[in-house]
Amino acid sequence: MLEIRGLIKRFGGLIAVAGLDLTINQGELVGLIGPNGAGKTTVFNLITGFLRPTSGKVIFEGKNVTGQKPHSIAEKGIGRTFQATSLFPYLTVLQSIIAACYLRPKIGFWEATLHTSSSHRKEELSLGRALEITKFVGLDSVKDIPAHSLPHGHKRILGIAIALAAEPKLLLLDEPITGMNAEEVSEAIAVIRRIWQRGTTILVIEHNMRAAMSLCQRLVVLNFGKKITEGSPEDVRKNKDVIQAYLGVEKHAA
Amino acid sequence: MKVRSRRKLVKPISWSALIVFLFLIPLFITSPYQLHILIMAGIAIILASSVRLVVTSGLLSLAHGGMMAVGAYTSALLVMKLGLSSWAALVLAGVAAGVIALLVGYPFVRIKGVYFALVTVFLAEVIRLIIEQWRSLTGGSMGIINIPRPDPIVIPGLLNMDFASKVDFYYFMLVLVLLILSILYAIERSRTSLTWFSIAQADFLAESVGVNTARFQVLAFTIGCFFAGMAGAFYSQYIAAITPGAFGFFWSVYIVIYMIVGGMKSFAGPIIGALILTFIPESARVLKEFQPYVFAGALMLIIFFLPEGVVSLPQRLKKLVRERFSHA
Repeated sequence: MLEIRGLIKRFGGLIAVAGLDLTINQGELVGLIGPNGAGKTTVFNLITGFLRPTSGKVIFEGKNVTGQKPHSIAEKGIGRTFQATSLFPYLTVLQSIIAACYLRPKIGFWEATLHTSSSHRKEELSLGRALEITKFVGLDSVKDIPAHSLPHGHKRILGIAIALAAEPKLLLLDEPITGMNAEEVSEAIAVIRRIWQRGTTILVIEHNMRAAMSLCQRLVVLNFGKKITEGSPEDVRKNKDVIQAYLGVEKHAA
Repeated sequence: MKVRSRRKLVKPISWSALIVFLFLIPLFITSPYQLHILIMAGIAIILASSVRLVVTSGLLSLAHGGMMAVGAYTSALLVMKLGLSSWAALVLAGVAAGVIALLVGYPFVRIKGVYFALVTVFLAEVIRLIIEQWRSLTGGSMGIINIPRPDPIVIPGLLNMDFASKVDFYYFMLVLVLLILSILYAIERSRTSLTWFSIAQADFLAESVGVNTARFQVLAFTIGCFFAGMAGAFYSQYIAAITPGAFGFFWSVYIVIYMIVGGMKSFAGPIIGALILTFIPESARVLKEFQPYVFAGALMLIIFFLPEGVVSLPQRLKKLVRERFSHA
């Protein structure tokens, strides 16, 4: 479904992503892990068009989407969330999701301005879709609260709900459970599982190793912009390079 | 159920009453000077409301004065040099300003935040300089005088408007303002507006769900400038003389101040702000002479005490009263 070939991103002298190859198959739930500064978020930004790669290719469903604008990549079916909790702060939960239902159904400027019957129908359709999404992610009890006054856990879930509104085939989640308490974590993980079970392919960046191991089928480990290993959580746990990357090289006393 | 149906009735009735009242105003306000103030207030309302539309998309435009100049000159030149009907010129003036906004829009919206506001200042300056230097066409800094009145509207036995009196211009202004406000309100209540709000609050997030944010912002800028151009055309037909100096940087800033003082979060805000700030300087000669100070003072008072503008005053008072009584 997604194929990344030889992806390189330089920021001046710094090489954030150093020749990454990555394949994600339809229906997978893959974790992208690695220590701070490994280049995980940069990879997301390169896939979704927020950054242009120095070289390399991003191929989605057989089409080369390298360097396209973020909105056209979203239209092709790649959705994403952001690491910092990014929301429409002054819109309510429901309004945010309706606004995010921009692609389907698409309401043109003239029909919207003239308030035609077709635009009313589409408005009702998007309201219905937005309500369905709030229920699906468990935000229906807070749907009329402005995003900025939600508790942290709900904010992160709303971020996911906004991404879902664009009906992505591939969803990229950037540290979805950071800063949550235990209860919120299990709720968020349940939501991610439900999204995956409904047929959305997911690539998730996660800092919390235990969460990543329990959630994902396959893990890709990044360090200094390079893939150091990939495989099932079991394999990755045992891998020497991974242990080294996370814990550092052990110095033996002579 | 009964309450709701009654409420449904009250709203349209009070709106129609207001509109009827506005149409009856020339019956009891007959002084040409007072009518002039009302007409100028109408122009200010169009400008402040249309700049707010641009603001809802996350762009602060300080080119509105310049766009007004584009409209004023386009209308005057089309009528005087090409002999076009003043009514066609009114619309084409808006189109001219809109086309300029559309052309510069795409490069401009790549510049975010306060830097966008800065480039719009330069845009307005460039427009003013072009008008000043293109003497053969625009009359340079001397401007254009003797701009003809709008073409008369005659419906035999019913209506005879030749625009020789301020009353005719008052009605022209009123119809134009009502028309433009209803278009702006239709947009305000549409999905387009929700998309603009979302872009203003987090453009990258809107982009990530498929919104072509640049296109939407250019759209807002173009529509806003279209109406500023129309306001300029009306101004030139009303005042009958224009100079490039009449649409300087101060106009652009005043328009934004109208909007902020009234309250930019609500549709009514710029309307109320434009009315208040047009009437206050006229209420006393001293205030008129120190207009910039009055505006600056009003702006500061509002930012400190009513950050959401004059429209939020009733709500604020209600809250204050409630707090007082709940403490007692």
